[in-house]
Amino acid sequence: MLSEQSHLSDRELILAVDGELSAREAERVEWHLEACWACRARKQEIETAIGEFVRFQRQNIDSRISPSEGPRALLKAQLAQQANAQYTSGLQWPRSVSWRLSWAVVAALAVATVTALVFRGYVEQRSAHAMAVTVPNPSLTPGATVLLSQGEICREPAANNKAVPVALQRRVFDEYGIRAAEPRAYEVDYLITPALGGADDIHNLWPESSSATVWNAQVKDALEDHLRDLVCRGDLDLATAQHEIATNWIEAYKKYFHTDRPVAGLRY
Amino acid sequence: MAERGRASESMVEEKVIGLFDELRIPLLRYLAGFPLTVQDSEDVIQEVFLALFQHLRNGKSPENVRGWLFRAAHNLALRKYHRSRKEAENAGPLMAMEERLADPAPNPEDQCVFNQTQKRLMSVVRALPEQNRWCLYLRAEGLRYREIAEVLDISLGSVSHSLERSLAHIGRAAER
Repeated sequence: MLSEQSHLSDRELILAVDGELSAREAERVEWHLEACWACRARKQEIETAIGEFVRFQRQNIDSRISPSEGPRALLKAQLAQQANAQYTSGLQWPRSVSWRLSWAVVAALAVATVTALVFRGYVEQRSAHAMAVTVPNPSLTPGATVLLSQGEICREPAANNKAVPVALQRRVFDEYGIRAAEPRAYEVDYLITPALGGADDIHNLWPESSSATVWNAQVKDALEDHLRDLVCRGDLDLATAQHEIATNWIEAYKKYFHTDRPVAGLRY
Repeated sequence: MAERGRASESMVEEKVIGLFDELRIPLLRYLAGFPLTVQDSEDVIQEVFLALFQHLRNGKSPENVRGWLFRAAHNLALRKYHRSRKEAENAGPLMAMEERLADPAPNPEDQCVFNQTQKRLMSVVRALPEQNRWCLYLRAEGLRYREIAEVLDISLGSVSHSLERSLAHIGRAAER
């Protein structure tokens, strides 16, 4: 029969469940547990505490971890930069560039690479200087996001997109080769709306034609509202929503509204 | 000669990317034990793997790469935290990751999931002394006691004592 003094300590039990005892100690503990219900019950309580902690981590931390594609692409770019530095004139990744911004840019470029072929033909050049832009050029506007969780995005009510500074609008027009006289025909719009975590970054801005009659800004607004609604209801993963709208917003509209044509007057 | 150098760089790069794929999430989970934002933690991890790349290309190879990465992440996270704390002195207190997570969930489903036990656990984990919390998070990522001792530069006995204290608190919180 076991006396009170002979019970195993919590430390011994934790070391045992963690496999940190020597073979001899482990054998002694095992022998004791076979005989002692109280220590077995205590061991079970310790295992339960471990289980609770693991569940806590999964529920609260794992859900906030973003997919690895963006960070991986950034790391690869920086490794390539460092590797090349040895063989070139010593170019280094500028330390002054924020990791946050560089992450967004590299992630954006990664999306661009994948989607470039998909988009070919959507931007129809009408003349040497004027374009009817219904979807952005993926090499110029691949989309860029800030790292926000679904909770952070949905906590605040969706606000109207803030106005893009004039200087930034000019840069967008320059990139798209739109002459100074033509900007009135366009609205510089976010590809991934900030209401879905879109970044205030030139890689996420494009000149949307005001003259477009079918796939126009109002239609895209309806899609953005709908996607946000799905994300905040938990019916759609935030990263998927961002990816779909950045890849081809027209296809995303067709997919999520189950229609090949914009639905008249639809506004969420 | 240069070609051979590039091939070698490429192998090191592949190794680093492979380790990144394997250990980014465990490192992010560990860094949740620090009062850093998710983005700050991602930044720390980028720096850690760049440091590993430099380390390997200089011909050094840590005996235990996983331990090396956790230790580097630990040190960089501490440095980042202290720097942020200084910057935030005039801007209010930093929010720990768990604290940020304690904000009300956005919809009824999430609120339901985020139950009372979870809230109690969050309070308990946040209230743990730093060393106890770090030991717990490292153990949860599968590190052995000797590895934890090396990452945190403490004795094996301290690791054991920290885990015992932490699990006792968690057990009580889960029972209530």
